[in-house]
Amino acid sequence: MSHLAHTVAVRATGVDMFFGTPENQVVALKQADFEARRGELIMLVGPSGCGKTTLLSVIAGTLTPQAGTVEVFGQRLDGLGQEALTSFRRKNLGFVFQSFNLIPTLTVIENVMVPLLIQGRPYDEARARSLAIIEKVGLKGREEGRPNALSGGQQQRVAIARALVHEPPLLICDEPTSALDKDTGAHIMQLVRDLSRSPERCVVVVTHDHRIFRFADRIAEMEDGRISRVVDDPKLLDTSHL
Amino acid sequence: MYRLALNMLFGDRAKLAMLLCGLAFSALLMAQQSSVFFGIMSWTYTPMVNIRAQVWVSDPMVEQVNDAKPLRDTDLGRVRSVDGVAWAAPLHTSFVQARMQDGNFKLITLVGIDADTFAGAPAVLTQGRIEDLRLPDTVIVDEWGASLMGRMGVGPDGKPRNTPLKVGDTFEINDIQARIVGICKVRRAFTGGPFVYTTYDRAKGYTLGARRTLSFMLVEPQKGVTPAELCGRIERDTGLKAWTSDTVIWNWGERSLARNTFWWFWTNTGIPFSFGTAVLLGLFVGIAISGQTFYSFVLENLKYFAAIKAMGAGMGVIARMLFVQAFTAGLIGFGLGAGMAQAIGRVMIEKGMPPFVMFPQILWATFALVLGISFVSAVIGIIKVSRVDAASVFRG
Ligand SMILES: Nc1ncnc2c1ncn2[C@@H]1O[C@H](COP(=O)(O)OP(=O)(O)OP(=O)(O)O)[C@@H](O)[C@H]1O
Ligand SMILES: [Mg+2]
Repeated sequence: MSHLAHTVAVRATGVDMFFGTPENQVVALKQADFEARRGELIMLVGPSGCGKTTLLSVIAGTLTPQAGTVEVFGQRLDGLGQEALTSFRRKNLGFVFQSFNLIPTLTVIENVMVPLLIQGRPYDEARARSLAIIEKVGLKGREEGRPNALSGGQQQRVAIARALVHEPPLLICDEPTSALDKDTGAHIMQLVRDLSRSPERCVVVVTHDHRIFRFADRIAEMEDGRISRVVDDPKLLDTSHL
Repeated sequence: MYRLALNMLFGDRAKLAMLLCGLAFSALLMAQQSSVFFGIMSWTYTPMVNIRAQVWVSDPMVEQVNDAKPLRDTDLGRVRSVDGVAWAAPLHTSFVQARMQDGNFKLITLVGIDADTFAGAPAVLTQGRIEDLRLPDTVIVDEWGASLMGRMGVGPDGKPRNTPLKVGDTFEINDIQARIVGICKVRRAFTGGPFVYTTYDRAKGYTLGARRTLSFMLVEPQKGVTPAELCGRIERDTGLKAWTSDTVIWNWGERSLARNTFWWFWTNTGIPFSFGTAVLLGLFVGIAISGQTFYSFVLENLKYFAAIKAMGAGMGVIARMLFVQAFTAGLIGFGLGAGMAQAIGRVMIEKGMPPFVMFPQILWATFALVLGISFVSAVIGIIKVSRVDAASVFRG
């Protein structure tokens, strides 16, 4: 294996993704190529409808593209069945959603425990590990409360704790700050970056929010279903659509 | 994960309460409707309950206990001579008109029992003694009958008031005086009116017109002979029909008069149909309510199950979570509903109105139905969750 192979975390090549019927087809991804490196936080930006969420779903193995190859930490996703994809997600992925998606009837700590329990970890171990990460995101003392009793920023911190509790190599965030105000959003991104800075990890963030661009190592711009440009410095971006 | 599944269920007290109320209400509805139905149906064999004997002997053509085809008095001797019979006593039952002191007529069920053995006498006397039936012109009336036959008058407050018959009161049957010497507690019957007990010989007098008065014979088997065995012998030796007094209507093997009566009414009258529709209505409403409450619970959680699925939970785990939730709610809902049905039933049995017989079978059937509803709801939920694609979690 080359040196390059070691640094690549996610590689998608020639990905096509269509929705709808053949007569009434929506092209979400057209020959999209995307690459993310180990240890980096990469952002996906672009106008609404350009295919960001779709690309994220393909990388996460929740959508299977019509064409192209996807490789995540050396594992090819194309050709995997539903069960294998589910198991892949269980082991390798952490999710942070725009709408948090916390289960309101469970306590904060129970929400954080979910990925560990899905992995089949014993309840007590899951609890101890969840408690530790809740402390790291600064919510110590709130673990027995309900998510709805927390502010938006606090809820997103719970979501981050849940996304990282099982130490997944790939962290996937779709619009993690769009439901939050400016300062809270910055705090959240700081937290994501601090907790996920590791050569063994990769973070992909889809966002519209230019105020958080500064947390990115690289920024990939999307346009009409494909990556048009990758830049290292936010200042180089075309922000006219934002 | 199953612990979390339960916590999800118990997490929202308000919704859980709704869900349990729906399930409990439908369990209650199903159990209570069926119990009233079987209660009404069990009134058909009330004589079997009120007139206690191990073996009943009747004319071979008799199909049920309310349809007495008279026997000859000599049949008594024939039965007594059957091997294994300890004793056999005559029983008269008929529906006759009684004339009250105010001139009103009431239909009564006249029961004439053997004055020597008092076989078939009521189990509970609230007033008087059974032996007083040996005095001339005496009868014992059941409690409910005493108020049915009571005198309507005006109370001190000006409102109409019913004064029930009491010990010492008299009325007439076919112009012959009947003096009440006791009040007994018996179960109500589907046909006929108040139970009026008297001696067999006096019953003959009260029904002067009747040529034959022996309706049934009540037989006690000797020690070591089972009622069913004795029935076989009596039928073989006398050509009469013999029945056990077993009131378990599900017991197909037994030659039970109660069971025959029950199913005779079931097949030969419109009663099961007219009351059965009410039961079915209860069942449908119950199924609809609990199915609906469950389904909305699943729908509310669909989004979260989709997220759990995206995070890597297989459908197997999600299916088991849904089953745990559904069956837990089903069990608790059934428990509450059945408990309420029992409580209501107790009150009903006390009042005797409406009749209420909660066979264990009713509870089992309700239990099975509620769990069936839980199962179907869980399966619908599982199908729903399996249809949401995991990618949907990224949409707002
Ligand atoms: N499940 C689907 N069925 C049909 N069309 C879809 C589906 N998902 C996405 N699309 C279409 O694919 C295209 C890309 O959608 P996608 O959600 O990836 O865009 P996006 O860049 O994430 O947009 P936004 O910034 O608004 O979130 C859009 O035209 C969208 O309508
Ligand atoms: Mg999107």
